[in-house]
Parts: sequence; structure tokens; C-alpha cells
Amino acid sequence: MKGFITLILLVSTSISSFAVEQAEEIFKQLAPSLYQIRLIDKASGEKSSIGSGFQISSDGIIATNYHVISGFARHPNKYRIEYLDHQGNKDELILQSVDVINDLALVKRKTDVDMPFFKLAQQVPMKGQELFSLGNPHDLGMIVVPGTYNGLKKESFNDRIHFTGSVNSGMSGGPVVNVQSEVVGVNVATSGNQIGFLVPHDKLVTLFKAFNADKPTSIEQQISEQLSQNQEKLITTLLNSPWKNKRLENAIIPTIDVPFIRCWGDSNADKSDALFFAAVASCSLDENTYLSSNFFTGSIQMEFRYLQAKELSANKFYHLYEQQIQRAVPGNKASKEDVSEFQCHHDIVKPNNQTINSKSIFCTRAYKKFPQLFDVLYLSASIDKDKQALVSHFTIAGVEKSNALAFTRKFMESISWK
Amino acid sequence: MEIIIEEISRGHKLISQHKLSKDAILIGRGYQNDIILSDPHICPDHLQLTFDGEHWLIEDQGTINGSYLEDGKTGLNNHIINSGDIFSIGKSLLRIVFVNHPVAETVHFSAFENFINIMRHPVMLALSMSVFAFVTGYIFYLNRATEANFSQFLAPVIGMSLLFSAWPIGVALMSHLTKHEARIMTQLGISFAFFNLLWVSDIIQNIVKFNFSSNWPLSNLFSLIPIALAFCLFWLNSYIGFHMTARRRIVVSVGLTLLFFGGSYLVQLSNKPEFSARPHYDATIMTPGFMFMPSSDVDKFILDSEKLFTKAQKAAAKKKGE
Repeated sequence: MKGFITLILLVSTSISSFAVEQAEEIFKQLAPSLYQIRLIDKASGEKSSIGSGFQISSDGIIATNYHVISGFARHPNKYRIEYLDHQGNKDELILQSVDVINDLALVKRKTDVDMPFFKLAQQVPMKGQELFSLGNPHDLGMIVVPGTYNGLKKESFNDRIHFTGSVNSGMSGGPVVNVQSEVVGVNVATSGNQIGFLVPHDKLVTLFKAFNADKPTSIEQQISEQLSQNQEKLITTLLNSPWKNKRLENAIIPTIDVPFIRCWGDSNADKSDALFFAAVASCSLDENTYLSSNFFTGSIQMEFRYLQAKELSANKFYHLYEQQIQRAVPGNKASKEDVSEFQCHHDIVKPNNQTINSKSIFCTRAYKKFPQLFDVLYLSASIDKDKQALVSHFTIAGVEKSNALAFTRKFMESISWK
Repeated sequence: MEIIIEEISRGHKLISQHKLSKDAILIGRGYQNDIILSDPHICPDHLQLTFDGEHWLIEDQGTINGSYLEDGKTGLNNHIINSGDIFSIGKSLLRIVFVNHPVAETVHFSAFENFINIMRHPVMLALSMSVFAFVTGYIFYLNRATEANFSQFLAPVIGMSLLFSAWPIGVALMSHLTKHEARIMTQLGISFAFFNLLWVSDIIQNIVKFNFSSNWPLSNLFSLIPIALAFCLFWLNSYIGFHMTARRRIVVSVGLTLLFFGGSYLVQLSNKPEFSARPHYDATIMTPGFMFMPSSDVDKFILDSEKLFTKAQKAAAKKKGE
């Protein structure tokens, strides 16, 4: 997600007067089922992060974002989860189930009586339909923000609703309802002024149904399965989609024809004093999976860099070229607690079906909590032309071995000289 | 009867040597003596040596600070001199030997002697230094990401050459200070010859890294080349600059090599972060002309890469257990 998780970002708000009346009505009606969700650091007794949540069953199941309670999911001994209701009551919450791919979590509060709760919508809204986002931004108290449904984000791999309205920090996990007060989405992220992203309600319905049918025994196991399924779905989709050949000056590079992989380009053609010409094409998946504030996964980046010496000796060109390939970095953030260090292999490789001869480097690191998953990094640098070079590079985060190798093979065999 | 009297330093280095053929010898600070010493702790009339037809006898002349056998506190009173005895008078040491005293075996010219002789020749020295300066300049040129003219390289090249001259000059200075011959040209010639050999070893290492995959087990052997070269340089430096036993010379050279490479290894080790999120791989590439090994195909590469997954899993499991 290139946008920021709503926990972090600040956006200004403006509300029209008509909407205010409607919003107030909705708010009054729904307030008892709205909560502020707090992650309390056990040692200091103070809250370490806040978000919003809403009740979806009479027996106390509350839906929120996974990223609101991720601290607890990863370090249950360090934190506890607490709710604060509209009357100021606080009590502990118990984590029940998560969906890290769609950033959802179910927590449960104690209740002896049947409580009012939010109804989940039966169908998706119409484009342009007015929606109301509820939540507690910046710990300022519960508010309601009117906005418009703008369909699903086109280039997303895992669906997100594009909501035109201000989703603010602290509103994460709050519900977004239609005028009938039915939940159609969950606040999850913002991408700047008046652009918000919501998790579609059907993801929540699926999670809730699965939870009612079979309560997960271990959250870690559940996360592990979700990550595995997601990478399987992603890599299979990528490998089965058409890989189109594209010219990058004198080189042929692949582009994968799927909407959720987006490409950008740049070159130094405007810099007349540069010693070599460089053109870069980079493609990436615009989303990733949040596991904790310093551990993200599920991302893919590909980058191709074509270099051509101007008035340079081959020696100097290769010397400068070498500097270009020395510092490849992984595409995702991960800490010592999450992953091993990278293990690398290098060789000179020439695919049987292609003309290009390259120095190829493959590196991988294993996940500590999810042993079947890896981050991989591939980098290859052509070494068969004196004054031209092609660097091809990709990183995939959170992938299984067979998928990583299948992708690597296809990638390697798709690159050549014109 | 002839006798040889040597003035030696506390480290038993020779300071001066006198061969006399008299049967009575006077030693002291006064000008009437046969051997005049300037040490202020010595009396004007300090020692008298006499030959009685069979032995040389040594006698202290009732001096203020006395005269002693080097290893004892016994005063000298008609002491019979043995060849090789060392006497302490004032703060000076005297060694007395007779003409039949055995001398150490002749030292062979080392096999390196020829090499040393060639390298210290002014023409060769100038050549090695210019090669060094040229390579330094070329590397500066390669590293510069923008166009540059000749004069911009001049300062770094002169600077680097001076910096690298510091080592042989330093060694020569050490020799001079320890009463050896400085032989500065020889030290310079040898050192620059080896600095140039180190460039060559750099190129060899790069060619190896470039041509062979990470599977090739011998790559690490090539990183021993500069260590071996450094050892040879240190050995030659001490050979040229100092008189010492072959064994001691090896110990000193090994010590310096360890200090140099071990030290830089330790610095690297202490700078290494506990966890690195970045991959560390070998990115050496050279122009196509340096490639002489056949390429692998994709199958081979995938097969080799597959092994990394198990390695990474093991690394992940190990850290967790600690």
C-alpha cells in the first residue's frame, strides 16, 4: 500500500451542512455499538495505539482492523486489548480471529445481555452512493464523516473500496455504513486529501462466517495459512497471465499484463553531461500485507535498467556499471525478529533460448514464524556487450520456494537482447 | 699478544672495535689511556689489562663506580679474562675477545638478493613508482562518475604515492635508529614492487570472482594472495633493514602480517551490525574480454538457488533458538 495506514496520517475534514444532519441521525442510532479499540502496553499501563471497532453480533463480537491490534497478535505478552464505549466504559477484549490479507480482526467483549449491533449489508453500494464513515480520529471522540462510494480500486489485487471522504488516523477499523445503517466497508487506509480506502464488507462476512463455523485454534497458524494462500493466488495469477515482450531500447524485457502490476519509467536523456545513457522501467504491486509496524510482506517489484556508454572506454563503463548493481535492497521491511539474513548465490547464466549472457545473483531469506515463506531477490547484469548493459531485478516478499523458483525461471527466460 | 676490545651497546650491538698488540692496556676517560671512553661514569684511570705470559688479567683501578662482569656484581680484581667476556664499567659495556675467538658462519646471499638488487636500481625504482602512480590515477579515473581532466588526478596520485612511501621510509628510519644501515632506496624499491604486485593480485581476484560461481570452493584461496604478498614484503623489509636470525625474521613478518590483516578483520567484525536486512552478494563484473568460463543454463542456476532455501531456513531456526 503506497498510501499510509490511517493510524499514521492526518487529513483535514470538511462536511456539508445537509450531510451533518443525516450524519448526526446515523451517529445517535449507532453509537452504542461503536468502540474505540486500544492496545495497552502492560508494563506502562498506557495505550500504545488506538483504532476504532464496531460490534457485529449480539454476543459481543467486535470487528476492527488487524493493524490496530497487530501488536497484540505478535506479542501477546506485551499488550492487552481494551475497548472504550460511548459511555466511557472500558474492559478487556479477547482476540478471536484475523484476516491479515484484508486487514481485519475479530475481538470479543464480555456481555451478559443481548446487545445492539451493526448489520452487514447484503449487496455492494452503487457508484456515487452516499456513505458514512465512523470512527474516533486522533482520540478526539467518535465522529461521522460523509463521503461517496467510488467502486473498487481498479488496480488492486486484494479488493479495496475507493471512498471519497476523509478517513483519518484513529478511524482505522471503524465501519462505513450506507443510509440504511448497514455496514458496507471498514476504514483501512488513506491516500491523502479526500481519498480513503475501505475493506469491502464481503471480506468481513467471509471472516465472520468462517469464525462462526470453526474458531481458529492459533492466530499464528491462521496468519501462516492466509499468507500461504495469498502468495499462491498471487504467483499463480502472475504466472498464468500473459507476459508481453517490451522493448527497453536495445533490450527485450517482460511486462505482466495484469491490472494490479503498475509500471513507471524514467531516463537521464535530459542530462547531457552524464557519461552514459540510462533508462529505467519499474513495475510493482501497489499493495502489501501489514504484519507489524516493521514487518511487511506480499509485495512484488521488478526493475529493468538499460545502460549505454556514450564516449567512455569499456573498462570505465563497466566500472560505473558495477557500482549500479552493488546495492540491491529487499522490497519489504522486516526486522531481525522476523527473518533470517539473506543467503546468496551467483553465477554466469545464459538461458538456452536467449542471446543474453549475464551475471545472475539470487538471494533469499526465511521467515522465522512462518517457515514455509521466504523473501527473494534476484539481480542480473548483462556482461556480453562492451558498451551496453541491462540490469534486470525483482524482489518478492513472502513467497514459497516452488513459486519463487518458478517465477525466477520465467523471469530469466523472458529477458534478452533485441 | 693481540687482543680485541669492543665497545657494545646494552643490546649488544657493536659500537666500536679496537685491536691492540701490547701486553698492558689502559682503559679510562683520561687521554693517556689506550682506549678512551667518554662515558662520564667512568673514571679517568679505570681498568688495566695485563698479559702475564699465559693469561690476560683485568683489574679495576679503585674506581668510584666500580667494574663488574656483566652478569654479576663481582668486582674485578686480577680476574682472568676468557674470550668473549663482557664487562660493565660506568654505564658502558666492553667485550673482550682473542684472535682465535670463533665467528658466526657466513650468511648466504638470499635468493632474493638479485631481486633486491634489481629493484633498488634507480631506473627500476622510478619505473615501479610510475607504475604505481599510473595505476592509482587510473583507478581514480575509473571511479569518477563525471568527466575529469589530467590535473584533477595529479593531487590524489601524488598524495597516494607519498602515503604509500611512508611505509618504506618508516622502515628505513627504524633501521637507522637501531644503528643499522637505512638503505632507503632499497626499501622504496622493494615496497613499490610489492605494491604493484598487490594491484596484480587485485586483478586476479576480480577475474576469479567474475568467472566462477559462488559454488566454486577455491575462491577464498585467492584472497590469501595479498596476505602472502604482505608477508613477503614484511620479510624483505626486515631482511634489508635489520640483522636478525632467520627465525626471528619470520616471527616478526608473521606478526606484522597478523597485525595488519587481523586488525583490519577485527575492525570489520566490530563494525558489522548484528542483523543486516540487506543481501551481501558478489557484484564483481568485468568487460566481456575477461570472461573465459562457459555460462551455466537456467536449470543449473535454479538448482543451485534452490539450495539457498534450506540454508535460509536453518539460519532462521538457529537465531530463534539462541
